[in-house]
Amino acid sequence: MSALAGKELRIIGFLCNWCSYGGADTAGVARATQPTDLRIVRVPCSGRVDPLFVVRALLNGADGVLVSGCHPGDCHYAAGNYYARRRLEILRQFLPVLGIDPRRFEYTWISASEGQRWQAAVTEFTRQIHSLGPAPKLEDAEPLVRVADMALTALRPLGTGRNAALDELKAAIKAKLPELDCVIGWKQGYDAAHAAPLFMRTEADVDQLIWGPLNVSNPATYLPSLKGKKVGIVVKGCDSRSVVELLQEGLIRREDLTVFSMPCEGTLDMARVQQELGSYRHIDSVERDEAGVTITADGQPHRFCMVEYAQGKCYGCTTPGAVLADVRLGTPTPVTPAEATPPELALLDGMSLGERFSFWKTQMERCIRCGACRNACPMCVCRDYCVSESRDPHWLTQEDKPTEKLFFQAIHALHLAGRCTGCGECQRACPVGIPILALRQHISRAVSQTFDGYRPGMNTGATPPLLGYAVEEKSIHEREWK
Amino acid sequence: MRIGVFICHCGSNIAGTVDCARVASLAASFPDVVYATDPMYTCAEPGQAAIEAAIREHRLDGVVVASCSPRMHEPTFRRTVERAGLNRYMFEMANIREHVSWIGKDVEANTNKAAELVSMAVAKLRHNRALHAASFDVCKRTLIIGGGVAGIQAALDCAEGGIPVVMVEREPTIGGKMAKLDKTFPTVDCSACILGPKMVDVAQHPNITLHASAEVEDISGYVGNFTVTIRKKATYVDWSKCTGCGECMEKCPSRKTPDPFNEYMGTTTAISIPFPQAIPKKASINPQFCKMLTAGKCGACARACPSGAIVYDMQDELITEKVGAIVAATGYDLVDWTTYEEYGGGRYPDVITSLQYERMLSASGPTGGHIRRPSNGEEPKTVVFVQCVGSRDRSAGRPGCSGFCCMYTAKQAVLTKDHLPDSQSYVFYMDVRANGKLYDEFQRRAVEEYGTEYIRGRVSRIYPDADGRLVVCGADTLLGQAVEVTADLVVLAVGVEASHGAARLAEKLRISYDQQGFFMESHVKLKPVETNTAGVYLAGVCQGVKDIPASVAQGSAAAAKVLALLSRDKLQGDPQVSQVDVKRCVACGKCLRTCPFGAIEMVSFRGQDKAHVIETACQGCGICTSTCPQGAIQLSHFTDNQILAEVNALCQR
Repeated sequence: MSALAGKELRIIGFLCNWCSYGGADTAGVARATQPTDLRIVRVPCSGRVDPLFVVRALLNGADGVLVSGCHPGDCHYAAGNYYARRRLEILRQFLPVLGIDPRRFEYTWISASEGQRWQAAVTEFTRQIHSLGPAPKLEDAEPLVRVADMALTALRPLGTGRNAALDELKAAIKAKLPELDCVIGWKQGYDAAHAAPLFMRTEADVDQLIWGPLNVSNPATYLPSLKGKKVGIVVKGCDSRSVVELLQEGLIRREDLTVFSMPCEGTLDMARVQQELGSYRHIDSVERDEAGVTITADGQPHRFCMVEYAQGKCYGCTTPGAVLADVRLGTPTPVTPAEATPPELALLDGMSLGERFSFWKTQMERCIRCGACRNACPMCVCRDYCVSESRDPHWLTQEDKPTEKLFFQAIHALHLAGRCTGCGECQRACPVGIPILALRQHISRAVSQTFDGYRPGMNTGATPPLLGYAVEEKSIHEREWK
Repeated sequence: MRIGVFICHCGSNIAGTVDCARVASLAASFPDVVYATDPMYTCAEPGQAAIEAAIREHRLDGVVVASCSPRMHEPTFRRTVERAGLNRYMFEMANIREHVSWIGKDVEANTNKAAELVSMAVAKLRHNRALHAASFDVCKRTLIIGGGVAGIQAALDCAEGGIPVVMVEREPTIGGKMAKLDKTFPTVDCSACILGPKMVDVAQHPNITLHASAEVEDISGYVGNFTVTIRKKATYVDWSKCTGCGECMEKCPSRKTPDPFNEYMGTTTAISIPFPQAIPKKASINPQFCKMLTAGKCGACARACPSGAIVYDMQDELITEKVGAIVAATGYDLVDWTTYEEYGGGRYPDVITSLQYERMLSASGPTGGHIRRPSNGEEPKTVVFVQCVGSRDRSAGRPGCSGFCCMYTAKQAVLTKDHLPDSQSYVFYMDVRANGKLYDEFQRRAVEEYGTEYIRGRVSRIYPDADGRLVVCGADTLLGQAVEVTADLVVLAVGVEASHGAARLAEKLRISYDQQGFFMESHVKLKPVETNTAGVYLAGVCQGVKDIPASVAQGSAAAAKVLALLSRDKLQGDPQVSQVDVKRCVACGKCLRTCPFGAIEMVSFRGQDKAHVIETACQGCGICTSTCPQGAIQLSHFTDNQILAEVNALCQR
C-alpha cells in the first residue's frame, strides 16, 4: 500500500505493549489530535524490535520509523529496553553509511500515562519526516562509481615474513600434533602465487605449511564447525582476534584449542595482485625480498611492494602479534596505535548521504548473491541456517533487486555489530570486489565510540556490548521530546 | 485461510470520523478475507453473537476486529472466537478508535488509515498459529508489601479467607502513617484506638507471618509462582527473645537519637521501641547512634536486658518465600517541602508539617499531647495552616491534588480549638475539597462552631518578626487584597508523593509508575487494583492519593483479587512464549545471555547442544528473538514473520 497521496508520508511506529502503546491509547482517550501518518505495530517490548525491522521498512519505502518503549528502569520485562537502547542507538549510527538519513529513525521512551508526551513525539516526528520529504528510493538512485584510495602509510614497517621462524613453527606443531585432531594453517594453492587452507593431521601435512604475505585467509573461520574436536590453529595477529571473539561468545572451547602464532608483517591485497598479473598461464617463480614479492608469470616479472599492495586492513593494524597464543615464535614489531580510518571507510566517509545511496545501488547491482562474504566470515556461525535463505523467518526474497542485496549486507553488518574484528574476509572473498567491509568498519567504529573504545576480539572475558547493557549509558543520550 | 473482518462503528465513536462501511468494503479485497462487515457495537452481546454466527456460516478460521485498543477488548473477542470453536490466537485486532478516530477529524485520512491498520492485522493473522496454554500449579500464599492500614486490611482479609500471608514492613513496626495520626476525620475518632486492634490481629493471626524491619530484595517468577527474597535488616536485638519490656530504653545513655516515628520532633534512645502500641513490640538499635556499635564500648542495654536479647554483631539476613500473589501497599511519603524557600525552607522551628503537628497532638507524642511552639515551648495563640504545599503546584512539577489535606486541616483546626480554647486558627486554602461522606458537614463545623478563619489564597512568604513570631503574607483572592497574619505556629499541609524507594520496588515487581512515583493500575477506571503484571495487585496510596476509608476499601479489594486468583488449583500459562527451532539452533547461547528471566537453558538433543525455553519462566518479551542471528528462537504470536508481515503490508514496493 502506498501512503495517501499528497497528504501523508509512510511512517511506522514500533511500540511496546506495556508503556508506549498504552501511552498512545491514553492520548487517544484524551482526544489528543495527532497527524494521521503513523501506523503502529504493537510489539511486547522494545527489546523485541530487531533493528532489521527498521532497516527493512526504510529500504522498502517507509519515510520514517519511530520506536518507543518504556522508560529505562521501567521495563515490564526488567531489561528489554536496556538492550533495545544499545541496539537502536547503534542502528541510528549505522543508517547513514547506507545512505539513509538518520533523522528518518528515532527511538524514545514513553510511559502509559504520558499521552501528551506521545502526542508531542508523534507530532514532532511527523513534522520532521515531512520536512525531509519522501525517502529516496534505491532503485531511483543515479549510478555512482568510486574506488578507495589505497595510497596509505602503515603504522608499522610492512614486510614479507622472509625471516620468520617457519621451521621452528613446524617443529612446534609436530610436537603437539599427537594431542590434536588437526592443525589449521596454509599451504600453497593452485599455484605458487596463491595460498590455500591446510588441515594438518600428519607430519607430512605439516611440511606443507607456508608463511608469508600470501596467507591471506582467516583460518579461524573453520573453528566453530570443529567445535568439540582438539584443534590447533596457526594465526596471524588479525586471525587471533577472531579466535578470541569466538571464545568470548562461547562458540569454541579454550581447552580444545592450541594457538600457534608468528608475527605478521602484512598480507597482500590479492584482488589488486590479480589485476596486475592479469590472465596468465603459468607462475614461474615467487621471490620474496625485504620489502616485497616478485611474481614471475609467463616469463614476465611483477613486483609487489608491500607498502603499495598490502590489504587495506594491514596499514592500520595494531596487532601484528597474536592477542592470544599458546606457542609464540618470534617478536612482533612494536606498533604505536594511532587513529587510522581504513581506506574503504574513508571512501564512504567522503560521500554525502545521496552519494552513498547511489554508490551502494551501483555496487549492489554487481552483487551476484553468491554468499561468499558470509561463508568467509569467521563470525557467521549460522552457516546452513542463515536467515537470508529461509522462509521461516522470511527476511529476504530471492528477487534480483539492489534493495534485497543491500538488505542482506545490512543483516550481515548488524549481526556483526560489536562482534566484527575487521578481518576483512567478507570483502576479500567477494568475487566481484564490492567494498562491503566498509559497512562492518562503520558499525565497528560506532560501537567503539559508543562503548568506551570497545574492540571485539581483544579479551576473552569481555561481553560483546550488544549482548549486554548498562543501566546508565555513558555515551547514549536519547533525544528529549518536548 | 478464510478470514472475517468486523469494522466496529462503536456508535459514533469510530463511525463519526471513519467511513466504516468503506473500510469493510476495502477489507473484503484483502488476501484471504472472505467476509467483511461493519456492525454498530461489536463488543455488545449481539455483536459478539454476530461474530460467532459468521464464523460458523462462512467457515472462518481467523477473525479481525477493528475497534478499540486491544488493551481493552482483546480478551473479550478472544473468548468470542473461542466460543465459536476457533483457537483464541486466531484473532487480531486493529485499533481504529484510540489510534484513529479519536485523534483526528479528517474522514478521508482516517478511513485510509483504518483500512491500512486492518490490512496489517490481516497480514499478521495469515501468519498466526493456534497456541495452547499449559496449566501449572499455584502456590496458595500471598505477599503483602507494606504494613500500613491498606496492607493490614489486605492481610487480614486474605488470612481470614484461608490464604497464608507474608507481610513485609520496612519500619520496625506496622501501622504506617495512620499509626502516627492523633485523630481521624470526620468523626474525630482516636486513630490509635481504631487501628490498634487491627495491628494486634495481624500479630496474632495464625495465617500471617510478619517480617518488620525488612525489605523486598528481589522478586522472580510469575503469577502463581513468585519467589521473593526478603532482606531482614539487622536490628541488633534477637526478637525471639525480646519481650518489649523497655528496660533497655531506660538504660540507654544515647538519648539524642533522632526519632523518625515522631517525625523528628523529639529524640529517642539508640535502642528503642517506636511507640507503645508498636507491632511487633520489639526493640531495635539505631546503629548510627549506639555507643557500642560506633565506639565499641557501652553495653548498657545488654546488661539491662532481662532476656539477653541484645546481639551486637547481628547481620542482615536474607530469607526466601514462595508466594502465588503479591499486594503492593507501600503508601506514601511527604514531598520535600524545604525546597519552598518562601516558607523558610526548614529554617524556622515554628514552621512544621501537618504530620509533625499530628505527633504534637498525640498523647503518645513528643509533647505528650500538648501544643507547644518548638522554638520556646510556649502555647501558641495564633496558628496558621497553609494548604497545598507541594500539591497543585505546576511550577514545582506537582500538578496533582493530595486529596486529604483539606479534611485533616479542618480536623487539626478543630483539635487546636479543643486543646487551646483561646487560640485562633487561620487556613490559607485554594479550594476546599470535602467530597466524602460527612466531610463537608465536618468542614463547616470547623468554620461555624470552632471559628476557624478560612482565607482563600496562597501564602507568598513567611518570615520571623522581631518578637520571634512568624509573619504570614498572603492574598485573599475573594476580597482581592493582601493579607498578613502574625502567627505563633505555622502548619504546612505538605503534599504527598509515592513512598521513597517505590520506583525501585516497581522495577522488581515489573510494574509501571507515574511521574510522582505512584504505581500504575491496569485500567484507570475498570481495573484500579490490578497491575499489568499478572498476580500483582495494589492497595492504598501507593496507587494514588486516597484517605483512610478508601485505602481500607482498596486493601479489601486487593484481598478479594488475591482470594479469587488463589481459589484456583491450577492456572493457565500464557502460550505467547518463545520456541526454539532445533534445526536452526547452533547453540551459540546468545539467547541464554540476554534472557532477563533465565528462562533459556542449554539441553542435549540427539547428542547436540540446543537452546530450550523453560515455558513457565518465559515472560514473552522476545529479546531472544531479536538477538538470535539465525532466527532459530521465535516468540510465539510475535514471530519475525508476523511482524514482517505487518511491515510488508505497509512497505512493499
